[in-house]
Amino acid sequence: MHGWKRSLALPVTMVAIALGFLISLQAQTQKNVSAAEQISAERMSQMKSVLTNSKAENIKLQEDHRTLTEQLDAARKKVGTDPQLLEQLEQLQILEGTQAVEGPGIQISIDDRNKNVLFPLSTDDIARMINTLKFAGAEVISINGQRIVSSTAIVLSGSSTILVNQVPITRAEGIPYELNAIGDQDTLVDYFSKLEAPGLKKSGLTVSIARKTLRIPSYKGAYTFKQAKPITP
Amino acid sequence: MRLDKKERSLLGLASILLGFLFVILLKTQSVAGSQAAARPETAVPSLIQTEQENQQISVDNERIRQELAKYAQGQSASTLAKQQLQEAQMNAGLVGVTGQGVRITLDDSKRAAIGQEDPNNFLIHEQYIREIFNALWNGGAEAIAVNGQRVTTNTEVFCGGSYIQINGTRQMPPYVIEAIGDTNNMSAALKFYRWFQLGDFEQQYGITRKLEVLTEVVIPAGKLREYHYAEPVKEGT
Repeated sequence: MHGWKRSLALPVTMVAIALGFLISLQAQTQKNVSAAEQISAERMSQMKSVLTNSKAENIKLQEDHRTLTEQLDAARKKVGTDPQLLEQLEQLQILEGTQAVEGPGIQISIDDRNKNVLFPLSTDDIARMINTLKFAGAEVISINGQRIVSSTAIVLSGSSTILVNQVPITRAEGIPYELNAIGDQDTLVDYFSKLEAPGLKKSGLTVSIARKTLRIPSYKGAYTFKQAKPITP
Repeated sequence: MRLDKKERSLLGLASILLGFLFVILLKTQSVAGSQAAARPETAVPSLIQTEQENQQISVDNERIRQELAKYAQGQSASTLAKQQLQEAQMNAGLVGVTGQGVRITLDDSKRAAIGQEDPNNFLIHEQYIREIFNALWNGGAEAIAVNGQRVTTNTEVFCGGSYIQINGTRQMPPYVIEAIGDTNNMSAALKFYRWFQLGDFEQQYGITRKLEVLTEVVIPAGKLREYHYAEPVKEGT
């Protein structure tokens, strides 16, 4: 200790104090972090259990829906409803969207998570693409499992959640957007790849179009007419 | 201040330690902030999504149950089928309807662009019509028509140059959009960015953007198209 100089005592003390302060702060933050981790883990597990419940309910409801529709079909056949009338009904239900359909078409997958994407896919983009598909003669269209019907509104909820038919279509996993369109495959591919794909690719999105046999689910929303009264001819 | 070797190395060591601790601290601090917020975010939308879907499916299930009950009660099959047919026609927009609603008139400007002015600001574009439809449906519209063309599931509003193609027909300005539904809700839903922008264009460039609230609007029936590709999914397959 004989080599120490008096002039050094002050800076060394300062450093020691700072060191002590930092160490205690570090310990404190560490504690905070673990507390925050614990809270978010708790929240996560609660959320997960709620989500699991609601998913289980979803599966059950879908199952119910299927059996009920089967029963209805059987009941209609049993009472011998005019098959021509039933066919007419089916055509109408394709238009109103309450009938699940299958047929040849195209599946468009769009990924907007690339680094060089300036603006993620907007509600306007989605509306425009759907309009182009309609123009190309698409008979039935869906986006992320939501059937497009006449009264479908595509709106933003908050800053990034897109609602279609009032249902958020955000996906946590896989390709963010999947558009299905049933119709003439050549026309659909032609129109979409000429009118829509170049613009999307230019803004950095990944777009792929595949010809497929598709199954499009029914529209699960309800039509309500409170003001509109039918005009009887 | 002159220091000998030992002192200098001690001081250096202390400074390095200090710097190191400081960096670690900064890192943990930022982690503590971001961690709590980042993770549950991904779970929330999928939760809302399944919940919404559940609700929709239960409504639909209820509808089917009611119908099944009618069959069980032994109601006449043909009456039931006719009833259903009428309902489906109404939903699909194949029935003309009347009721309270709004009328929106959009028209190109009567004057031409001068000098630096963008000629696009003087015209009504197909996108405006689509955005107004979207806002109206979102505001609970029950039926919409534009220039007498009923808007159905397959209605396109596509720009064909000097005209706009709607339901396969050529439509020219003025575009008269009529919608039946709760007029308060629909008027409120119209207050969105584009609507105000069109208001600015009206003042600056002389386009027409008019909203009328009417006690009676008449909207014609749409047409059923023929489906060549889409087949109903047969249950049990």
